[in-house]
Amino acid sequence: MLTAIIPLLLDSLASAALIFFAAVGLTLVFSVLRVLNVAHGSLYSIGGYVAASICLFVASRQLNSYLSFAALLFSAVFVAAIFGPLIERGLVRWTYGKSEAVQILITFGLFLILEDLQRLIFGVQSFYEDAPMRLLGTSSIGGVVYLNYQIVLIGMALLVVIGLRLLINHTRLGRLITAVVTDREMAQSIGIDTNRIFILAFSLGVFLAALGGALATPTSGIAPGLGADTMVLAFAVAAIGGLGQIEGAAVASLIVGLARVLAIYLAPSLDAVAPYAAMLAVLLIRPYGLFGSVTARRI
Amino acid sequence: MRTLLAAAAVLTLAVLPIAAPWLQFVLTLAIAKGFAALGVAVLLRAGLISIGHAMFFAASAYAVTFLARAGIHDLGLLLIFSVLAGALVGAVAGSFLVRYRAIFFAMLNLAVSMVFYALCAKLYGVTGGTDGMAVPVPTVFGLVLSEPAFKSVLFYLSLGLMVLVGVSVQRYLNSPLGHALAAVHTNEIRLEYLGVPVWAVLLIAYVVSAALAGLGGAIAGFAIGRVVPDFAFWTASGHLVLIAVLGGIGGVPGAFIGALFLELLHSAAVTVTDSWNLIVGMTLIIVIMFMPQGVYGLFARKEASNL
Amino acid sequence: MAFKDISIVVARYLSSLELAFRLDRGTPQANLRWAVDGLAGALALGVVAATPVAAQEKPGSLGLGLFTFTSGPAAAYGMPGKNAADLIIDEINAKGGIEGVPVSATYVDEAQGAQGVIAEYRRLAGDAKNQVMVAALSSANCLALAPLAEQLEVPTVGWNCDTHQLLIDGKSKYVFRPNGNTVPEFVAYAIYLLDRKPDVKTVAIINPDYAFGHDAAKIFTAALKALKPDVEIVAELYPKLGSPNYQTEISRLATARPDVVFSNLWGADLENFVRQAAPRGIFTSSQVILALGETVLQRVPLPDGVIVGVLGDGWWMSPDAKANPETVKFAEAYKARFGEYPVFPAIKMANALIYVKAAYKAAMQKNGGKWPTRAELADAMKGSKVATLTGTAQTRPDNDGLVDQIVGVTVKASAQPFPVIGDMVRYKGDSLMPQAGQDPLAWISTLKPEFARRLPKPGSYK
Repeated sequence: MLTAIIPLLLDSLASAALIFFAAVGLTLVFSVLRVLNVAHGSLYSIGGYVAASICLFVASRQLNSYLSFAALLFSAVFVAAIFGPLIERGLVRWTYGKSEAVQILITFGLFLILEDLQRLIFGVQSFYEDAPMRLLGTSSIGGVVYLNYQIVLIGMALLVVIGLRLLINHTRLGRLITAVVTDREMAQSIGIDTNRIFILAFSLGVFLAALGGALATPTSGIAPGLGADTMVLAFAVAAIGGLGQIEGAAVASLIVGLARVLAIYLAPSLDAVAPYAAMLAVLLIRPYGLFGSVTARRI
Repeated sequence: MRTLLAAAAVLTLAVLPIAAPWLQFVLTLAIAKGFAALGVAVLLRAGLISIGHAMFFAASAYAVTFLARAGIHDLGLLLIFSVLAGALVGAVAGSFLVRYRAIFFAMLNLAVSMVFYALCAKLYGVTGGTDGMAVPVPTVFGLVLSEPAFKSVLFYLSLGLMVLVGVSVQRYLNSPLGHALAAVHTNEIRLEYLGVPVWAVLLIAYVVSAALAGLGGAIAGFAIGRVVPDFAFWTASGHLVLIAVLGGIGGVPGAFIGALFLELLHSAAVTVTDSWNLIVGMTLIIVIMFMPQGVYGLFARKEASNL
Repeated sequence: MAFKDISIVVARYLSSLELAFRLDRGTPQANLRWAVDGLAGALALGVVAATPVAAQEKPGSLGLGLFTFTSGPAAAYGMPGKNAADLIIDEINAKGGIEGVPVSATYVDEAQGAQGVIAEYRRLAGDAKNQVMVAALSSANCLALAPLAEQLEVPTVGWNCDTHQLLIDGKSKYVFRPNGNTVPEFVAYAIYLLDRKPDVKTVAIINPDYAFGHDAAKIFTAALKALKPDVEIVAELYPKLGSPNYQTEISRLATARPDVVFSNLWGADLENFVRQAAPRGIFTSSQVILALGETVLQRVPLPDGVIVGVLGDGWWMSPDAKANPETVKFAEAYKARFGEYPVFPAIKMANALIYVKAAYKAAMQKNGGKWPTRAELADAMKGSKVATLTGTAQTRPDNDGLVDQIVGVTVKASAQPFPVIGDMVRYKGDSLMPQAGQDPLAWISTLKPEFARRLPKPGSYK
């Protein structure tokens, strides 16, 4: 019995970690900027493409292969530094205070643009770079061989949850962000530079998206269409956890991961349905998500 | 003057396929998408954005194939029943979705449509999975038509429906029920104080919009000859919103203008570039930023409301 | 008209964008202008139809519509097809074209989905210049296009189109497939597996979630059960086509501990699966069958002993291929131009174009040297027997193709840096096919172990 449950749990955790990385940036950006960034999935896949490209470069130059770990992190920083301020200043800023329809459409337009840009820059062939995964080797757990990289990812997801919590609760930046989230106008009136906070928060969101893509590359391929698929998964997680709730996103990732793994083990024909069915089930009971709260209707 | 312009436009559309037969398919598809975009536009009037309307589009298209399998072969009956099926799905989904506003409305619509999409894609035995199902050529008033003849019938029927349904929707939007939608957008609570049941107003709008999307889906299914789960994917829903906004949600013609504009541009663009999404994305952002009334805003008088 | 202005504005804006981002990918600016003006004209006035004429005069050029995946995960399989088409068409044109008429191809990306593919097919077929469609790769698209081909009466050659459902009604006049289909392709794997590993008890299947994956599983399972009734299927997984990540599926396969893992994943999906499954020991704990394994031999390090094949006879290193100087020349030219030897999708496309060329020759012989109409061309394809790069493609009266099936296992080769196929068998095309009109699955269920015994054995094809 136990031997059957261990792989199931481990697989759930591993896939929850990947799902969490895909979703946490989306929910963070929403909590600060109140903007649902539909192009989030594209930033995820761009992170993946950049990471794979750099890792392939590292491999082609015969550099120390442990550099590929640094490359994963660097690519996320790189993508965030370029796209974060650019998108926030150029497009998203324009939608503050406008209706959700405008925000969704503007970012949907951005999504379409980014999807084609990726195709033009990285081509249409699938990218794959597994050096970091091979370096870490494998372990046999419960009679099934797992990649150590999968286990490292679970740990990293935990670190990100804790890290974000510490950032928000215990740093100056975190307190400024909290102030802006709680009352944007009040924060502005006491002299907080909300523009700077928005750029930083959005870039942090882009960083997390790109990091998710980068960390996924060693165990999965990147091809056109990944952005669109990631986007809905991120939506699902953000909605289940409650938009803007970081711990909520973590719990939601566990739920979605478990649902998907259970489906593959027990009812393989339903694997793709499971995440959305879980989302619908949660939303029917708690429409604003597990950790979300009702926002007042406009008077 | 505007009636004249509209009549001229419809007449041009009717004549185009005679000059260029391949355009008939493109135009039929454009009108089909126009119906669905019109459905989305109805809800946008109330400030509700649905990224899930492709579900109703797909539901009706699937309904056509299931009904045909069940032995119904008449075009008229298939259209009526499949649109009813779309409306029924809309009534079920709408009955709980219209309680939500803003981002939650958008996300819940997305959630429901993705469940639908995943089911269509995964239930290989029932829906044919990602391969989808063939839509048969129906009979028209008992006449068995060849495929090209049917496609012409379908095109002119769609064109006729476009005018007919377009006028009806315009009347609906100009009725108290329609004006109530705009009122929901501007001040919902006041509406409730006035004794207007917002829930009912929105549910009716939701069912109307689902039926419109369904009509589009059924026509598209007939035109393409195949229905696939991708009809219901979230990007398809996104495109419907896009068409509605591009055309301009101010009036009924906007949705069709948006769809025709986009489909014709697409037909021309595929021969020179494969970066179609880039073009559409840029166009969308530019239209939203600089032409909030959409393409239709160029024709319409200044009265049209924006987002 | 405002329409015209808008379309011109949008397109002009586009062209400036192309310049700004240097996205110009070999598209002459003039073309764009032409299209813009054309579009504006169409909007304002309607375009003048290309009048289809009885094409008895030799045309200036012969248009081909070529349908393949040039984007998305399926492009890993589709691009070799496009590359091969480029190469073969260049070769044909260098020799003056088909019967003196140069060939020009229009490529259509199948990744846009059935809807777009159908629209493109209609558009291309509406132009009388396009005489033949080489369509398509995906079975789903082939099934969607087949009724259209019959209605529009355009000869359509499925260059891949493996599904046995395509020509099953036997009524096709214009749809051809000079290939085997899913029935012989996957029955071949069942027979080869039982020859090589007669004691197999448990089998797990991981196939893509669409007709090709489901049909293959059905056929492979039916053949195994007919030939060895005690075989048990312990897991059947159908991940979505284009899935990037198979880690959970791999765990599921590992916990099932099957003797054999069968898969007809393909394209980037196959590469991803192999790269993720190999480190996790799937290839050592089970005998793996990768039905389309040859496509990744040059790209991922497959271990020895994996059963692979080419869904037909199209392996560029097969004894027949090596004996044919044309094929050797093609393989070297392909390697020189694209950096990789032609995997079997490339060979399939090349063979399909050779098939089209042969049909023109036959049709012109039949009607006394006049340029054939579409109907005459289709007529010439029916019942034809064409020598291809790697064997023969025979077309039955029901338009279905007969092609030999090569199956083998991966072995290290000293001459190449990548594994090759060894211990091969070449089954005759007709030996694994039901008669025309016979239900394939009913036919498979009648198979007896004696049937398999009469067939050639692994290692017999050298």
